Formats: sequence, structure tokens, C-alpha cells
Amino acid sequence: MKFRAVMIDAGPMREFSNVVTIISKLSKECVLRLSDDLIYFIVSEENSGPSPPILWCEIPQAMICSEYQLIGLDEEHKDIYLALNSGNLARSLVTLKTAKSLKMKLTKKQCPCLTLEIESPCTVSQQTRQVTHDIPVTVVPRKLWSDFHEPRVPDPDISIELPPLKQLRTTIDRMKTMASEVVIRASAEGRLTLQIKTDMAKVSTRFKGLRVEAFGGPIEHSDSETETQINEDMSRVCYCRVDAKKLSMFLSAEQISTNSTVCSIVHKKLVILCLQTDENIKLQCFISGIVY
Amino acid sequence: MKCHVPGPNVKVLARTVHALARFGDELYLESLPDCILLRTLNAAESAYAMVKFNKNFFSYFNYNYYSTEDNEGLKCKISMKSALNTFKSPTHIDKQVENLEIKLDPESCKLIFQLKCRHGIVKTHFVSILDCKAMQAVYTKDTVPNRITSPQRILSDALNNFQSSDDQVTLEATSMSLILRNYIDCSADLTKIIRTQISLKPAEFDSYMIGTETVITFSLKEFRALLTFSEALNLPLQLHFETTGRPAVFIVHNGTTFEAHFVLATTKADNASQTTTTQNTNIERSKRKDTSGTQGSAKKKPHLDPDISKCLDEDSHLFNFVDIPGDNEIILSNKLNGNHSINKDKTVNDLMDCDNIPASPAARTMIKSVFKRCFESTFDPRSIQGAVLAENSDSD
Repeated sequence: MKFRAVMIDAGPMREFSNVVTIISKLSKECVLRLSDDLIYFIVSEENSGPSPPILWCEIPQAMICSEYQLIGLDEEHKDIYLALNSGNLARSLVTLKTAKSLKMKLTKKQCPCLTLEIESPCTVSQQTRQVTHDIPVTVVPRKLWSDFHEPRVPDPDISIELPPLKQLRTTIDRMKTMASEVVIRASAEGRLTLQIKTDMAKVSTRFKGLRVEAFGGPIEHSDSETETQINEDMSRVCYCRVDAKKLSMFLSAEQISTNSTVCSIVHKKLVILCLQTDENIKLQCFISGIVY
Repeated sequence: MKCHVPGPNVKVLARTVHALARFGDELYLESLPDCILLRTLNAAESAYAMVKFNKNFFSYFNYNYYSTEDNEGLKCKISMKSALNTFKSPTHIDKQVENLEIKLDPESCKLIFQLKCRHGIVKTHFVSILDCKAMQAVYTKDTVPNRITSPQRILSDALNNFQSSDDQVTLEATSMSLILRNYIDCSADLTKIIRTQISLKPAEFDSYMIGTETVITFSLKEFRALLTFSEALNLPLQLHFETTGRPAVFIVHNGTTFEAHFVLATTKADNASQTTTTQNTNIERSKRKDTSGTQGSAKKKPHLDPDISKCLDEDSHLFNFVDIPGDNEIILSNKLNGNHSINKDKTVNDLMDCDNIPASPAARTMIKSVFKRCFESTFDPRSIQGAVLAENSDSD
């Protein structure tokens, strides 16, 4: 197995470090999957055994790396899966924002390591200084690869553009102090509603005029649950109840400069947040719905 | 002793106290005819700091304020906490305080700090004196072969790359480069720890002189504290060091008013875990050879180079406590002499005591396996011969 990648552009390096920082906030452990054209970061739910990933991040290597070499086990198993501590990686990449270049290598130094060689400029002279981090990793054996396949999700009933993440996050952060669950409701008319209910109050925040990317047809509601709203055609509205803390955590991705953020909802089952940056880095979060 | 510190210098003093607080829990103050010395020592006696404020640091300095016939320095020990309380928030202190008066009366049991702040506010701190001892470390800084002068930012920038959990740093000085590494204990789990290495080029430093190439390891906590100090005062840092086992001295001074010495004990790098960070296998190999050589010499102590054994001896009493006689005793000089000889005996006794400390227990205790045999499937109780030490409580 061999892996070697070099980054030299400041923009992609910053993005890369931002992505890793977000992942480190979501989970202690993550899996780095290296394939011929994509670098994946995969986060599974902690302490719940093999379960579909909750975060799926794809980075096209050609967009961020100037050099990329990968030799897997054999012809059939070209990819490399590495499990590593995401905090370790994030802390080592903190200095990447000012760095000149980053070299990533898979090395064996008493234990398998992902070696990061960061070349950063000196403050005074034209010369550079070399910083090397050896981050211990575990190579994921082939029989466990199936745990890290892209989650197969049902076709979403609606895909709607999200308002600015910062706004959304402050709203959610206020709401999560009052209730642990939040209902996300999206309508085909471009309305997104966040709603919480407590014994004392019902709070909802509405965003209007959002672009609807796709709508999967009329939604069937069982009447007992649905609140009748006179001015809305309920067959064009779908909703999902999710954990407020999880949602807020995913929204910490606000620091990535995205060019599109889309929220897809599978009615009452799943919320998928998808961020895409200019470098074609795709970050997908899966938050499963809470059903009573 | 009485002295006045002008506003801008109060900030320097506050920074000093905050830096020293990262070293030790007690602050030793000694006033001499032309300067004031602040000293501290950490609990493990592996780090020592001394800051000397010359007469011209003060706007008013009267060494003989309380008595005129005094020719011994006034000494006192106060707790670091109380000193910190006096100098809260060093970043803003120069904006609030216009003048600071320090008074040390040999008859009194309090050290007085009087802060004259803006708008006529006067804050007076009466700090209890814990002891009248002085403490001094024995170290050399002028005859060492390795000297580096570093601009204040460079080393702290480099240390930013280390994890906050790292507690020791290894510094490898060669004439080609200065390499910093986080030190990893051999008992640590290598699969959990990031190894970091930073290589700095000599050109980054103001001056770089390596007489004998060496590898030293020292504590990162104190190193960070002294770097913060040099950065806050915007002064370059001088590193003076010899080889492993000899103290490394870090000096910050502005040439005229004050001079700070920070002395850190150095230990030998654990090469087994460290060499792996070097990328070049050739270097690795040569280094392994090198370490096996030095380890061998360490084991055969009788064959030690006389110089090294001398320095090891010196090391063991790096820090000497010197009792100063009480004020009543100063009058008689012969009594004073007697006191000194007693002190010598005392330190000798202390040293003897140090030698008698039993070795700390091995990391892996064997207790776990005492009854292990009983739980093995092949265990046959009949095979145990001899007296029963503890009988069965159930007699069936």
C-alpha cells in the first residue's frame, strides 16, 4: 500500500483544514477513504456498532492536490481505508492556513502513520520551515469495508435550498435550549419552517422564497398527526422531526464557504443536508427522523 | 528597602511575576544594594527562574531605607498566589497604575506593595512573609558551547504546532538545523499520540552557534511560560546550553534595566521512540549506533569521563538553600561564621537523605498474577504441598 499527495494552493488547503475541523467537531473518530479520484471522510455514529454513516464527505483529489499517488492492496482493492482520530488530524492542520505546501504520506513508523509534512514560511526570511506530524492510523481490513459504503437513501420527497447557515444555526441554537427536538417542515412553495413545541409554547421560524430543487409529488398525511392549516395545501408539505443538538452540530459547517446548501427531506424519516463548495467538495450529513 | 516602580515598568514586573508563577509556587525576593532579585523554583526542582531588576529600573531606590548599618541583602519568601493577586491582568496594568511602591522592612513580617492608580485610588497589599531564606541555583551560562539568540516569535510559532497535551520537548541542535520534537515517554501508547517534528534553519535566528552538537529534552510548560514572557516584552531570547543532563539557560534581557534567567533541567531523550520521526533511515541508523554508545558508557560509570562525572555531581546540588541569619545575629560576625558552617552540615545531611530515598516501584506490579494459577484450568489443588496458611472457612 502506498499513498502520497501534495497540496500547494492556499485556497484548497484552507478548505481542507476547515472540512477536517468540522468533522472533528462531529466525531472523535473518522474513516479516511482514499480512492483514485476521490478522498472520502466518513463518520459513523459513535458507539453504535456498524450503522450507516452520519456524515459523508467527498473531496475530488484533482481539485485540491497537485500530486496524487495511490497504490492499494491489489487490482480489485485499489482503495485504502484508514481509521484515525479526527481531532488529531484537525489539530495538526491548524497551521495549514498559512502554510506553503502540504505533503501527506502513508508511512510505517512503529505503527502505521499518516505523515503530514507542512512547509510554512518563516516570519523573517524567505526560507521555509518544515513541520512533520506523524498521526497514528489504523488500516481498516477489507472485511469491514462494507460498513463504510455510501448510505443508500430513499429518494427525498423534497429538496430545498437552505437560508444562510449562520442564520439557521442561531435559530436552532435558541430553539435547542427550549426543546430537544425540532420539526423541519418544507413546502413545495419554497417555505421552510423550524418548529418546536414545549408545554408552555410553540415556537416556529419561517423562511420564505427558497428555491425548491426537486419535489417528489404529493405527500400523503395520516390525518391524526397533521395540523390543519387552512391556507396550505398539505399534499405539498413534508416534514421530519429531528434531534435539535445534532442539527445544530451539523450547522457548525457554516465556516465553509459554500456555493450551495440543500436540505432534502424524506417525509418523517430522514433529513439530508448537503453542502457543496467551489472546489466541488461535497459534505453530506444524514440525520434520521424521530418517529413516535 | 523601599523603591518606586514607574507605570510602564509595573507592566514588566507584572509580566515577570506571571511568568514566574508558571514555574513555582513561592517567590523569593532579595534586595541588594544595587538591584532586586526575584527567584522561584518549581516543586520538582527541575526549573528555576531568576529575574534581576537593576537600580535604574526604579524611579526611586533606597536600599537602606529602614536601617543604615545593614550590609547583608534583605531576603524574603512570599507565596506566589499573593504576588499574583497584586499584579492582576498584566496587559492592562500600565493603564491603571501610575506608580508602585514596594517596601520591605526587616523588622516587619509583611512585604508591602502599594499601587497608586488613576483617579487617586491607592491599593495596598500587605503580603505575608513566609520565610527569610534565599535560594540560589548553581549554573553556568557563559562557558557553554551552544548559544542561540532567537527572535521572540520564532520559537513560540514553532511550538504552536505541538499538541497542548505534549509536556516535554526534545531539542536537537546541529550546525545545520535546530530540530524540535515532542518527547514521547516509552510507556505511552504510540497508536494514540501524534509525533511532531519541526526543523528550523539557522538563518531564522539572530545568532546561531553550536559548539558541540547535542540533543536535550526539557519541560514544555515552563518553556512556553518563558516564551510568553519574552514575547510580551518584545525581547529576543538567548538559549545557552551544553549537553544532556546539564541545565539549559534561557536569558531575556533588555541590556540596561533587567535581566531574566530561566534554568531548565534537561534529560536524555528516549531515542527508541524518537528516532522514528526522522525521515532518513541513514540518519536513524547512525543515531541508533550513537545512542547505544552513550548508553553503554552510562552503564559503566567507573569509566566515565572525569568531566562528565564532575558535572553529574554538580547537578545533584544544583539548588542550594542558604539561610540568612536573623537580624539579631548579624551584629556578631563570628556567630555568623558559625551559622555558615552549620548550614554546610545541613546541606550535606540533606544530600545524604536524598541518596537514601528508595527507588520508585516498577511500573508493572506483579500482584495481579499472585492468584492467577488458581484460576487456570489445569490447576489441581492437591498439587500444593506444605502448610496451609489460610484454612477454608467452610469446613465441608
